[in-house]
Amino acid sequence: MAAVKVKVDGREISVERGTNLIETAKLAGVFVPSFCYHPGLPVVGVCRICLCELEGRPKLVAGCATGAEEGMRVITRSEKVAAARKAVMEFLLIHHPLDCPMCDKGGECTLQDYTMLMGPSRSRFRFEKLTWPEEDVGGKLVLNKNRCILCMRCVNLCKDVAGLDEIAVLSRGEQTYIGTVDGRKIENELAGNIADICPVGALTSKDFRFKARPWELTNVPSVCQLCSKGCNIMVGYHPRRNQIARHTARTNMDVNQWWICDRGRGGFHQVHEPNRILAPSRKGDRGRVAASWQDATAEIAVALRDIIVRHGARAVGVLGSGTLTNEEQYLTRAIFRDGLGIAHVDFPRRPQKEVVYRKFTIEGDKDPNARGAELCGVTPVQNGLGVRDMVRAAAEGTIKALIFLRGGPLDLFGEPPIVSRALENVELLVVLDMLPSPVSERAHWILPGVSFAEKDGTFTNSKGRVQRIRKVLTLKGDTREDWRILQSLGQALGVYPAKDPDPERIFARLAQAIPAFSGLSYAVLGELGAPIAAATADVAVG
Amino acid sequence: MTATRTATFEPVLTKTMSLPDGHTLGVYKKHGGYEGLALALRKTPDEVIDMVKRSGLRGRGGAGFPTGNKWGFVPKSTDKPKYMCVNADESEPGAFKDRLICQKDPHQLLEGTLIGSYAIGAGRAYIYIRGEFAHEARILERAIEEAREAGYVGSNILGSGWSCEVTMYVGAGAYICGEETGLIESLEGKRGWPRLKPPFPAVVGLFGCPTVVNNVETLACVPHIMKRGWEWFAGIGPERNSGPKLYGLSGHVVKPGVFELPMGVSLRELIYEYGEGVPGGRPVKGVIPGGASCPVLRGDEIDLPMDFDSLTRAGSLFGTGTPIVMDDTTCMVRAAWITARFFAHESCGQCTPCREGCGWLQRLLWKIEEGRGEEKDLETILSVTDQIEGNTICALGDAAAWPARGFAKKYRDEFLQHIHEKRCPLSGGSLH
Repeated sequence: MAAVKVKVDGREISVERGTNLIETAKLAGVFVPSFCYHPGLPVVGVCRICLCELEGRPKLVAGCATGAEEGMRVITRSEKVAAARKAVMEFLLIHHPLDCPMCDKGGECTLQDYTMLMGPSRSRFRFEKLTWPEEDVGGKLVLNKNRCILCMRCVNLCKDVAGLDEIAVLSRGEQTYIGTVDGRKIENELAGNIADICPVGALTSKDFRFKARPWELTNVPSVCQLCSKGCNIMVGYHPRRNQIARHTARTNMDVNQWWICDRGRGGFHQVHEPNRILAPSRKGDRGRVAASWQDATAEIAVALRDIIVRHGARAVGVLGSGTLTNEEQYLTRAIFRDGLGIAHVDFPRRPQKEVVYRKFTIEGDKDPNARGAELCGVTPVQNGLGVRDMVRAAAEGTIKALIFLRGGPLDLFGEPPIVSRALENVELLVVLDMLPSPVSERAHWILPGVSFAEKDGTFTNSKGRVQRIRKVLTLKGDTREDWRILQSLGQALGVYPAKDPDPERIFARLAQAIPAFSGLSYAVLGELGAPIAAATADVAVG
Repeated sequence: MTATRTATFEPVLTKTMSLPDGHTLGVYKKHGGYEGLALALRKTPDEVIDMVKRSGLRGRGGAGFPTGNKWGFVPKSTDKPKYMCVNADESEPGAFKDRLICQKDPHQLLEGTLIGSYAIGAGRAYIYIRGEFAHEARILERAIEEAREAGYVGSNILGSGWSCEVTMYVGAGAYICGEETGLIESLEGKRGWPRLKPPFPAVVGLFGCPTVVNNVETLACVPHIMKRGWEWFAGIGPERNSGPKLYGLSGHVVKPGVFELPMGVSLRELIYEYGEGVPGGRPVKGVIPGGASCPVLRGDEIDLPMDFDSLTRAGSLFGTGTPIVMDDTTCMVRAAWITARFFAHESCGQCTPCREGCGWLQRLLWKIEEGRGEEKDLETILSVTDQIEGNTICALGDAAAWPARGFAKKYRDEFLQHIHEKRCPLSGGSLH
């Protein structure tokens, strides 16, 4: 497409021909309001708030539906445009309940913001307003039609992105309303995005509503943990309560565009599970006994060393995890594989069926960092055993020590009786995890790790894009970041002397050591991440 | 009454309508039916378009867009199929002329449709008829069957090598489906929501293909242009407003009905000569000249020619050329409210100003009619119409704004009387 020169309120800029006037104006530094327009959805041009004047044209045009042409002169600061915007604002509010104080959208509502910006401060409408009852429409959403401005975003999200006609416009005239088809519940797993893009409080998230006011939340950019896609999210947390209130989609055109799935949207709940493991402990004769970090790491190191001395490094199996960060994968490899010479290093995979929507796929690989684990070398070497064989070898008694860097459900390995026998047979069972599991219940040592929201680090998605997660919450109880735990274990074992104060420095070592990551640093990754080195993209480091 | 220019006018559109079985192929053919099609098929499509352009035929659906030009916008070189859509969704209050053609002379419409399809290169024509016209739909269905059997519809029409199918589509009953892109959406099986333009239907229309949407009466004129020549058509009526016209006269007239007269007939002549005046000799208080969306004219404004340009100059609109006459017993606030209620009911609900503004106008007008009005309500009415006009996707918003503003401005005193007396001075105390 050719570039054209356009003037917006006298400011000349060059844009691609056909760029709509809202985007054109934005590039020229001019704000054009919009309700129905969304860059990721079809243009509908229904709200009429983006009306602009074109020099030489008698009628105003919808900015969203008009493409830039050579020599076009767009005027947004005229009395005519101001009057049209004010008219739309007044019209949109005539039946609106003005219930901002009890509306979940209050504080991040486009209608509220524009009313403050340019709306009439009082209405001339002196009639009874149309009212509608609140409705559960499925999709973890609640529909309040009183607040709806019929922008069609929800309809088009389902239609265009999910490819399903689950929400429709019904009736006509001022009785027009949004509803589900035949009153059925919305089932698609992208519906949560509607709560993000609804410009008013018409469709709000059941999970988030009444939990917090938007202005109480701090939003921190992060990456979703629920599959290998690596969707960019905003973690909205409540600093005073040290609690995450919601995840919202964060735009990254190379990964998830504007959307996230509903599983990821609810992906923070595990952080606040009431049964989080909060302190290191050992298995005593009568139940679990709390231990200090110092004792725990020292005693685990002694026990592990002892087994290696007696039975050799092939008597130890390390089960890593595709849920740990690249930095932690690197430490796993450096300590156990390189440092102790353990060959049986692997991590379990949790494939599920992928869910394919018209313009969005929820990936089947449920580990957010399987790629990172492979690239960093959390994989067997020198005829080392994989996950299943390690468990079998432990059940048969050839493996004497198992280290689980996350427990996971027993049926993960397919054969629960064998797994039980393995866990009971081993002389040393160490589990590093956030939540109790059948594995941790039998562990000689439990080390409480943390969630993605309690540490910094990076993940590598299935396409080889490295992206950062950030620590948003203060640590609970006596938990510690997994990278810190691994690092102190490496020191206690005498195989990893470095004492880095943060994952950024561990990442620098990783980038030196592993070719796929060469050239990358936290600065290079920035907010949106960066791809691993192209030449190594398809090669797992062996 | 002065001698009229219309005395020598020979009706063509309604010529065979009063004959027994005038709606059948036999009677239609006996009076020269389908000769226009045969003539057109001997010309190139461009020659047909050129004839229609020269005739000066303007769309009879209300907007008055030159038909030949509309046909000329259809791209010549395209791989896509092209479509002709007949707009038989006549729903404007006051308009009932297209219905007459469908009912009494369906073959005239079919012939025009086929010529139009040939001109634009369409292999399929759809007749979109409003759901309430069930009787007319049956008549048209039968006419299509007759025409197919006679070789006017289907493949290799009249041995020309050109083929065209004609399909009926019965709408579900919405005024907005008469808006051409609303019609197209409805025809595609969707909600009849008008599309954003550009692109215009001539380029991206039905199923994304080049499409022409023409009004019934417009197409009915076409066979006559083929048979009698463009010069004949252009010679009728004022310049740029040529041709015969079906005027649908209703309201307070002795003899309401459809009258075929030349374009430019005076409104007074139409009412007093053809409509035989107002019952009881009462004065004309106002006339809505071209269907409900056209701003009202006062009784002293009826000495003007009924054509597109004259009515626009007079601050109103020619619309479909179907005047509604109101005598001095009519409450103009109530008339305004009835009109506003119609548009509020028919607003598709898609874009903000029309969806919200029409309902507001209706409430304001009813408030005044009920005797609860305040002077500021009158200003609000005018302001709301300003806020709707020109800001919507389609013309329905304008169509709702114009009459409300027209009534409020032309009958301001009557509105104020309602407000000051806190009652309707004309309804005799009863509002229902």
